[in-house]
Amino acid sequence: MIDTVQRKICMLGGFSVGKTSLVKRYVESIFSDSYLTTVGVKIDKKVEQLPDRVVSLVLWDLAGEDDIGSLRMSYLRGSAGYVLVADRTRRSTLQMALSLRERVEADYGPMPFVLLMNKSDLKEQWAIDDAELEDLRHRGWWVRASSARTGEGVEDAFKDLAVRVTR
Amino acid sequence: MEGLPASVAQRLQAVTYSARAVAYLQVDENLVLVSAGGDLQNYGLATVRMGKPALDEAFFLLGLLPLLETPNYVPAVELAGGRVADLHLHSEGDSVWVMLLDVTTERDAARRVQQNAYKMTLLQEQEALLNRRLEVANAALLVSQRELEASRADLLCTHEKLQRELAEAASYVRSLLPAPMAEPFVADWRFVPSAALGGDAFGYHWIDADHFAMYLLDVCGHGVGPCLLSIAVLHLLQAGALRDVDFRDPGQVLAALNDTYQMKSNDDLYFTLWYGVYQPISRRLDFGCAGHPPAVLVDPSAGAVQPLKAKGLPIGMMPGVRYANEWLIVPQQRYLYLVSDGAFEVERPDGTMMSFDEFLSMIAGPASSDSSDLDRLYKTLTTNRGSEALEDDFSIVRFAL
Repeated sequence: MIDTVQRKICMLGGFSVGKTSLVKRYVESIFSDSYLTTVGVKIDKKVEQLPDRVVSLVLWDLAGEDDIGSLRMSYLRGSAGYVLVADRTRRSTLQMALSLRERVEADYGPMPFVLLMNKSDLKEQWAIDDAELEDLRHRGWWVRASSARTGEGVEDAFKDLAVRVTR
Repeated sequence: MEGLPASVAQRLQAVTYSARAVAYLQVDENLVLVSAGGDLQNYGLATVRMGKPALDEAFFLLGLLPLLETPNYVPAVELAGGRVADLHLHSEGDSVWVMLLDVTTERDAARRVQQNAYKMTLLQEQEALLNRRLEVANAALLVSQRELEASRADLLCTHEKLQRELAEAASYVRSLLPAPMAEPFVADWRFVPSAALGGDAFGYHWIDADHFAMYLLDVCGHGVGPCLLSIAVLHLLQAGALRDVDFRDPGQVLAALNDTYQMKSNDDLYFTLWYGVYQPISRRLDFGCAGHPPAVLVDPSAGAVQPLKAKGLPIGMMPGVRYANEWLIVPQQRYLYLVSDGAFEVERPDGTMMSFDEFLSMIAGPASSDSSDLDRLYKTLTTNRGSEALEDDFSIVRFAL
């Protein structure tokens, strides 16, 4: 009998970095260019089949903020891990992701997370180069390039996180 | 609802219930769903099963149960069906009650406002980014402009140096030209080198007491290279320095020059030459031509012109070429003009070229005794050209025979 477990994962990041698009790509395998900002939280579920168990990931897609102080930390209660999302074409969103991670650790302690550098398909507009990401990896971060538009890195990132939150 | 009349409280309850599509779930201490009611269908919860784990029946409760603080409020939760609910949780005894109040309309209104604000922020970010890129591009442009200015200054310096050298070369050519002559016949000339210095040169001298050599040459191209060749040829003709050549025989002179100055060994330079030998006593004029414009004999009293043509390739183009000798007896009171192509191949502002025939008509008339008509001829050409400077050297030599 294969174990089935549920895990809550929060999507965190500045506004318009593509959190909702990443969830849509992961859960429904679709992408839309039209931008609809998230207000509050949007909750979805995706069942991930791992070699030794089935994980039901309950994804809390939190509203992106332009101000770190406005994040409702109570949304993160009960989370097993989180996905930090930054827009690779906007440097300020990486700073926002770094700040969010510090705040989450301060309130809930360390938990598994992955940093997705989204919109990596827009290479000519990159504001963050590979060397900076390499530096974060050397600090032990899980950093992945992703694109909700092309699907690059999305499935793998959630699957990795599913494994890590069920260890 | 203390303080409210029963009627108002009931009405308020009814309005809230219908406007907010109120629904509820009751979960026991084992996180089992024990009851549910209200407008469950609005939230996609119509099929929840009593007695089953609450987190299986309503997965959005994961993380909210067990309840750590009561009451608890989670605003604006968009559920799988697309409806948005405010969640109100409170415990009572061993149960936790979860109330759902629909706020989809309010969420949509808030989203419109928020979206516009974010779009504005994004535009500002993009504007700032563009400004930064523009500043970088401007800085790079400034560096390029400075480099360009430095290159331009170097170029200007080099150009000025080149112009000085060309002027010096032109001055040297001028110093090699013979002085105007008055006896036994008048010889006069005008030489105006072009800015880029063409390869014109000319001369006349007595070969012996009876034979007078006259010649005008034009090396192809412009600049110091052609100028050096024209000086070399001029020296050679003035010194009579061609072995076994009778300088009284134009055909021999042209052939010997052709053997000496093949373009293959002279930087691909070739030149044209009109060479004549005049015997004043007999008034016989022998001449040959190597691809040069013909000299012109003018009868000023009749206004008649006679181009003195002779066949022959320019010098240097092909080895072993032989040049024909032509001759004539020059009648009394004639002018003989030696010219370079720069004296008539002038482009007008409208793009048309002056022709040799037009030049002939210009020199056909009577000449003034003070030879100022040579200046007038030059003036006419510059007027036709529409500029004080001509494209090519202007060389003209006139003999009053």
